[in-house]
Amino acid sequence: MSTAAREFLRKAIVKSADLEHRATIQRAIVTYDAAVAKGKLRFADWEAARTLCAAIKADAIANLAQYLTEFEQHVIGRGGHVHWAENADQANDYVVELARARNVKTVVKSKSMVTEEIRLAAALEKIGVTVWETDLGEFIVQLRHEPPYHIVTPAMHLSRRQIADLFRDKLGENVEDGDPVRLVAAARVALRRAFFSAEMGISGANFLVADSGMVAISTNEGNGRLTTSIPRIHVVVTGIEKIIPRMNDLAALWPVLAASGTGQPITTYSTLVRGPRAGGEPDGPEEFHVVLVDNGRTELLANPETEEVLKCIRCGACLNVCPIFRHVGGHAYGTIYPGPIGSIYTPRTAGLSEWGHLSYACSLCTACKGVCPVKIDLPKQLLVTRRDFIATGNVKPAERAGFAAFRWAAAAPARFRLLAWMGCKALAAVNALGLSGTALDPVRVWTKYRSPMTLPKQSFREWWRENGNK
Amino acid sequence: MNRKVALFVPCFIDHGFPQAAIDTVTVLRRVGWEVVFPEDQTCCGQPGFNTGHWKAARPCAERFVRIFSDYQHIVCPSGSCTSMVRKHYPELLASSPWHGEAVAVGKRVFEFAEFLVRVAGVTDVGASFPHAVAYHPSCHATRELGIYAEPLQLLRAVRDIDLRPLPKEAECCGFGGMFSTKFGMISAAMGDTKAVNIEQSGAEFVTAIDPSCLMHLSGVFGATGRKLKTIYLAGVLAGSSASRTTAGARESAR
Amino acid sequence: METSKSSARENILARIRTANARPHPVPASVMPLDAIFPPITNPRQRFLDECAGNLTEVFQTTDAAASAGALETILSTVPAGEVYVQDDDSLRPFVALLEQRRRVRMSSQGAPAESTQATLTLAHGFVAQTGSVLTSSACGGRGASIVPPCHIVYGRGEQIIPDIAAALALGLVQAEITGASYVGLITGSSRTADIEKILVQGAHGPRRLVVILEG
Repeated sequence: MSTAAREFLRKAIVKSADLEHRATIQRAIVTYDAAVAKGKLRFADWEAARTLCAAIKADAIANLAQYLTEFEQHVIGRGGHVHWAENADQANDYVVELARARNVKTVVKSKSMVTEEIRLAAALEKIGVTVWETDLGEFIVQLRHEPPYHIVTPAMHLSRRQIADLFRDKLGENVEDGDPVRLVAAARVALRRAFFSAEMGISGANFLVADSGMVAISTNEGNGRLTTSIPRIHVVVTGIEKIIPRMNDLAALWPVLAASGTGQPITTYSTLVRGPRAGGEPDGPEEFHVVLVDNGRTELLANPETEEVLKCIRCGACLNVCPIFRHVGGHAYGTIYPGPIGSIYTPRTAGLSEWGHLSYACSLCTACKGVCPVKIDLPKQLLVTRRDFIATGNVKPAERAGFAAFRWAAAAPARFRLLAWMGCKALAAVNALGLSGTALDPVRVWTKYRSPMTLPKQSFREWWRENGNK
Repeated sequence: MNRKVALFVPCFIDHGFPQAAIDTVTVLRRVGWEVVFPEDQTCCGQPGFNTGHWKAARPCAERFVRIFSDYQHIVCPSGSCTSMVRKHYPELLASSPWHGEAVAVGKRVFEFAEFLVRVAGVTDVGASFPHAVAYHPSCHATRELGIYAEPLQLLRAVRDIDLRPLPKEAECCGFGGMFSTKFGMISAAMGDTKAVNIEQSGAEFVTAIDPSCLMHLSGVFGATGRKLKTIYLAGVLAGSSASRTTAGARESAR
Repeated sequence: METSKSSARENILARIRTANARPHPVPASVMPLDAIFPPITNPRQRFLDECAGNLTEVFQTTDAAASAGALETILSTVPAGEVYVQDDDSLRPFVALLEQRRRVRMSSQGAPAESTQATLTLAHGFVAQTGSVLTSSACGGRGASIVPPCHIVYGRGEQIIPDIAAALALGLVQAEITGASYVGLITGSSRTADIEKILVQGAHGPRRLVVILEG
């Protein structure tokens, strides 16, 4: 078992028993479900919207090289810089070098999962740059020195009380009774200072528009707007898969992303940035850089079976519907991307042997498939990840032996009966010897959490032999 | 129409929970269908397929297709096993010489409730069950096979039944095959959440078209000291007292 | 500072091109955009209804005098402090009015200050589908629509356009004409639900978005 797998099991045990955590997540999901149900009513045909968005992203991925170079040309043509990074180091080096060369002391960041993936903030902090996360949820978890809990709502695991305590400790702001309005106001004051003193603003991108070289950034808070308007340098750090072919595609993707992500008609600030400030504009960054990050995405692309995973628009719907996510929460996974998409993406990009266990942390309920707005067949991806995990030899000897025995037994009913008979005898012996519940108990994995099953007096086929033809 | 069905009895039902299959036979005969049991069958290969052991699963699947290729109607008291054959055999056997036959067999295999309503054209099987019952729509049957209305139609026709809506019914019970043992703690937590919802419905029994969900829930009820009981759909329709499971007492040897 | 090392770019593109060279299934016919959303029969009413839902304040006026009156009313609820105005002929009539009560800074003089209490700008259009304002950096720059606690937009009823698709087309055209470096849709006030999923207005952007809709 890998280290990550052991860690996941340990956390899963803790979180599965944490009823307060379970209740918190359930409350958040109930709110989300109600909002999304309402949001979907705005569509005449939600299923058609999914099909359209799936087709747009499939086109983007199938012609990725063409669209990326088209996008790049537009950006460079308007005075922007485009940097291609094969991995986290190359991406971080570029931004760190830029910060050093431009004497950057403070950075403000709007939400970008890929910057968490490559650990950009840590790289900047190493050279003495202060990095402020400006999305409120990200700001909160940053103060707590913990990773985001969820890709859309990073602090959904915290109560207002906990946030009030945090603000008192870290910001010196005393918001009694944890009133959310006053908490938000306190964050606004703290971060406003950062916005107006930072030399560099780093954003992600929800979409990169090929036909016009636009970088689309969606936020509700407006932190994305301030990050990309006030500081004199704007850096976009984005995965290469964020590309879409045309401006017009946003007419479908913006409402669908908002509906799946939060149930809104559209995110409050749906922004398109084309480059640094144009001549005659009173404000805006003087420099515009786009860092296109690969970091394993071309691995997914190279495999025709996994290519569809790149369609993901990071809406979080699959996390919210996943019963495993709802019971263990986002931190248990130990990855930047939790939930169904993360359980596929992480093993495929960060190592099958180390992370393949996540693809098994799934009951195959297939709820995720029904909610994905770009129609990724998530259950299928989880299954083939398992298949490839086994194919690379990551099987415990006991499991390998078990399936070899099963395969042997399934070839003939007499063998199967024998195997079943042996199992029952072993179980009876274990019980007779008082070893039930110990490590030698073959059904301990079942009875650890459930009362034991009563074994039937006879199998169905035995009953059929005696009674079947009466 | 040749009113004969071949019974596809999932391996875990055959050896672990045979009453589900016995009750299925009872009901099918009551509505005038002859039942045969191809004794050569062993396993459809789902455990291997779901855990990534596709090489081990393939021969099981090919064998299944061979054994059942002669039958016009194949009925299975399990949504997930039916789905394995209908939805997943084409992919598992993509490169197998049995692929075409697998697709054909998939069209002739039916989950029990689906068969009664859509093929046999029956919703009232003359059953009586004077208890409060909640229906749990098992994931594979509901989402992969689209079977939701049929079990409810059958249940509504049961005399004296008190059918209770199940809050958050679409949430998985937590069984998930090998998931139940690989990640037992999460599986149990999900079962616990499902149990809370069943309690909220006021039902005494929970029923489903996937006995594996019920086996798992029965174990969770027992481990958490709940008075709830499980009963497979055919058990409700067959009405035999052997059909019911009660919350098993937690064994003291641990 | 050099941009991308060409080898990284070439490596990435080479890998992508190999994958893209595989035959890809053409998606089955997809429904056009206008079949996915219900038709908008009364754009003006839809715009007003959406604004009510997203907490955009709308003052409907009949003429310039009424609009000036609306502006006065709005400013009476804005705390004392500087107002930043997009330097455009259409807004000049309001400047004199504003200067009676407050310090006014025009966009031609530079960016809005951190302490600016309100901004007054034009918009490229008003989107009925979502109750959004289509704006760009040609409308007084980037900060004008995001820095102050109150953003006031002055526009005309005939600027109402039906949907996001129309807004994107118009936004692109405007960007090409003006060379604007930023285009965007603003839908209501700044908000967050990051604390216990409770909606709070006025996170980092304006707590108030006010539209004076003339005609």
